[in-house]
Amino acid sequence: MRTQSVALGYYIVAIALLLALSAVAGAQLAGPVEDFFAQHGGSASASAHTNNWAVLVCASRYWFNYRHMANALGMYRTVKRLGIPDSNIILMLADDAACNARNKFPGCVYANQGRHLDLYGDNIEVDYRGYEVTVENFLRVLTGRMDASVPRSKRLLTDDRSNVFVYMTGHGGNEFLKFQDNEEISAFDIADALEQMWQKRRYHEILFMVDTCQANTMFSKFYSPNVLATGSSELGESSYSHENDYDIGVAVIDKFTHYILQFMEGINKTSQASMQDLFNTYDYKKFESHAGVRADLFRRPLDRTLVTDFFGGVAQAEILPFPPDESGPERSPEPKGALGHDEHAVGVVSPARSSNFNDTVLSGDARALQQRQFDTLIAAAAVGHPDAWADATRKLRAWASTFLVLVLVGWVGMRGK
Amino acid sequence: MDFSQVPVFSALVAARLCLALSPLPVDQVYKLANSPAVQEGVYLLQHGLDPYYEGAVRHSPLLLSLFSTVLPLTTLTAPLLWTACDAVSAWALVNIWRARLNVSHSSRDALVAASYLLNPYIVMPSLALSTSSYENALCLLALLFACRGQRSMSLLTFAFLVQLSLSTVHLVIPLMLLIVTGPVSRLASPQPLDTDKIKLLPPLAAEFILYSLFLTLAATISSGSCAWIEQSWMAPFLLPDLTPNTGLWWYYFTEMFDHFRPFFLMVFSVHLFIYVIPICLKFQHDILYGWYLLLGVFATFKSYPTLSDPGLFISMISVFPEVFPYLSYSVITGLLHLHASLLLPLFHSLWLTQGTGNANFFYASTLVFGMANGGVLLDSIRAGLRIAMGELKYDHDVVQE
Repeated sequence: MRTQSVALGYYIVAIALLLALSAVAGAQLAGPVEDFFAQHGGSASASAHTNNWAVLVCASRYWFNYRHMANALGMYRTVKRLGIPDSNIILMLADDAACNARNKFPGCVYANQGRHLDLYGDNIEVDYRGYEVTVENFLRVLTGRMDASVPRSKRLLTDDRSNVFVYMTGHGGNEFLKFQDNEEISAFDIADALEQMWQKRRYHEILFMVDTCQANTMFSKFYSPNVLATGSSELGESSYSHENDYDIGVAVIDKFTHYILQFMEGINKTSQASMQDLFNTYDYKKFESHAGVRADLFRRPLDRTLVTDFFGGVAQAEILPFPPDESGPERSPEPKGALGHDEHAVGVVSPARSSNFNDTVLSGDARALQQRQFDTLIAAAAVGHPDAWADATRKLRAWASTFLVLVLVGWVGMRGK
Repeated sequence: MDFSQVPVFSALVAARLCLALSPLPVDQVYKLANSPAVQEGVYLLQHGLDPYYEGAVRHSPLLLSLFSTVLPLTTLTAPLLWTACDAVSAWALVNIWRARLNVSHSSRDALVAASYLLNPYIVMPSLALSTSSYENALCLLALLFACRGQRSMSLLTFAFLVQLSLSTVHLVIPLMLLIVTGPVSRLASPQPLDTDKIKLLPPLAAEFILYSLFLTLAATISSGSCAWIEQSWMAPFLLPDLTPNTGLWWYYFTEMFDHFRPFFLMVFSVHLFIYVIPICLKFQHDILYGWYLLLGVFATFKSYPTLSDPGLFISMISVFPEVFPYLSYSVITGLLHLHASLLLPLFHSLWLTQGTGNANFFYASTLVFGMANGGVLLDSIRAGLRIAMGELKYDHDVVQE
């Protein structure tokens, strides 16, 4: 009885120790684990998107709407410069300003007085052009509901980790935007399309920017989460063009887009400027209209949302530390090759040694050692953690089947017939 | 065993071993059952990955387990194993020949052994460590045991062969007939089969099915799942791999619309089967010759032939010297074989290595090869039937109604 209670006591102590150990270990692990996940500014404000898309729409045609096409092309150039590839940009231009008969500078589209920067260039990809820019096509692009014959370059192939930048420019009014001079899209249509996108997990976050008259009404009807919207003018206000070029003869850019592009010229791919910085540059004196922002559907704080989250195609890479060096019988007896000192954790490309690698000729031993370490890394990565139990069962199965076969052969042989 | 034949036999085997161990470059032998696939299968098995996932390996799991446990394949053991396999096959062929004559030794034994061991169609796949050498060995062993009347050993060996390649299961019918009749040559004096011998067949079939089931069970235990059935057994029927080989199927099926594929797979598979019953009926008096003809049919029309299949077919003709006088155009078929055997590697390299030819070149050479095999087959059939007519009077002739 006494021995039993002693044994019980030992058991209780052991279990308590185990629990304490695991708690301590967990507490110790909690720190590094949280650090790992919080490496990029914390989960609350870090954007979890993995790819960027842009839908840039110029909805008006005719020569005198040159500035709308220049708006869209300016945005196109900016997002391309900041890293979104052509495959991820849907550019819709309702008319061809560059090759218009009235263009004194054929093949060129400029957005400033004095024609300092050609936006058309020789490397642009217009996905929807001319009469293809319709309300129906725009909604089909957003929702993805297309005929199977539509090519991939005309599809918005986003997923639930895509940040989409939707930019629309043209002539608009109270909760509508005019397409092609013969039809209009309403704010309700766009709101419903965005909701369809949300339900089909076609975006992670959307930045909706619109530069038309009474633009803020266009995003007043949104109801889907993770949408940040900005527009150039309030209800009852017009948005104004910025400047004319006297040789082209028409207005070449709108104020809202011009100042935004001016802000973007100071942004590069590594910029940490936030959307709040961009919205802080809005000024009634510059725009001559009240530009608006709608952020109530947007979950993250604007001062921690990077401009490049929407305008750029920035990828994040994590550098992992080198695994520890493998020591054992595989090490060659002479680890000192042309690299000299003892190699601890030689990676595949080590910047500190790359000059050595190029300059000197590695001896066979050192090269073999490096190759072996490389192979070990790759093999460890490929195989993972081999399961000893599965290994044993496999061998057992192989031997069992061989044994069965040999038994059968022996038995039949013994029979002699 | 006649000891005068032993030196010749040993010399041949030793020469073969030297060839295997020498560092000669082995050119490609277009096959399904090649050794790199076996080695890959063993490697996958040893590293815990399923070798039968999506067609990595087409071998039977018994082979894989054999090579991973009892017979490890290294640079030394592999040539030894394959040489031993060839030696066993040659020995089996010699004893089939002796059983056919019903003698314990004869003067032509060495010639029969040489016809197998010196046949380039046999030597090349064996040097390339192709498992088709094992299939040949099992086939000849099954024949040998059947000739000697050891039915259980014969059926067991044949069950092994069926494990390795399912399409040879058609040959179980002539094998059972051979067990009940015997190998002695009766080509010149045909008699119909005794009907009461047919009653002996069902127990043999049951025994064969029993052995097959047991081996299938062993194979399933070895591989741990039933995935191997589709990858290994169904491969000759479903034709998943269209790598160019010496056969006639691959080119046809590269151009096939998917819509027609099942139909033509069925047609080609049934085509293999339709020869079995007629040949068994026609050569019921000498079923060993019928087996020889069916080997020819399979060599020509199999889905994944290797060079060893026509190799065995040609080597085995040495067991039937009585038909030699009646072969009508042996020179032509011999030259066709020479032609094809030179063209096949040439056009293969021209197409796939140099890139100056295209698939049609190689396909044409496989057609020539098929014609050569078909020529030998037709000639053998005709000679086997013609021999029953015997010598003719000078103004008589043989016509076919």
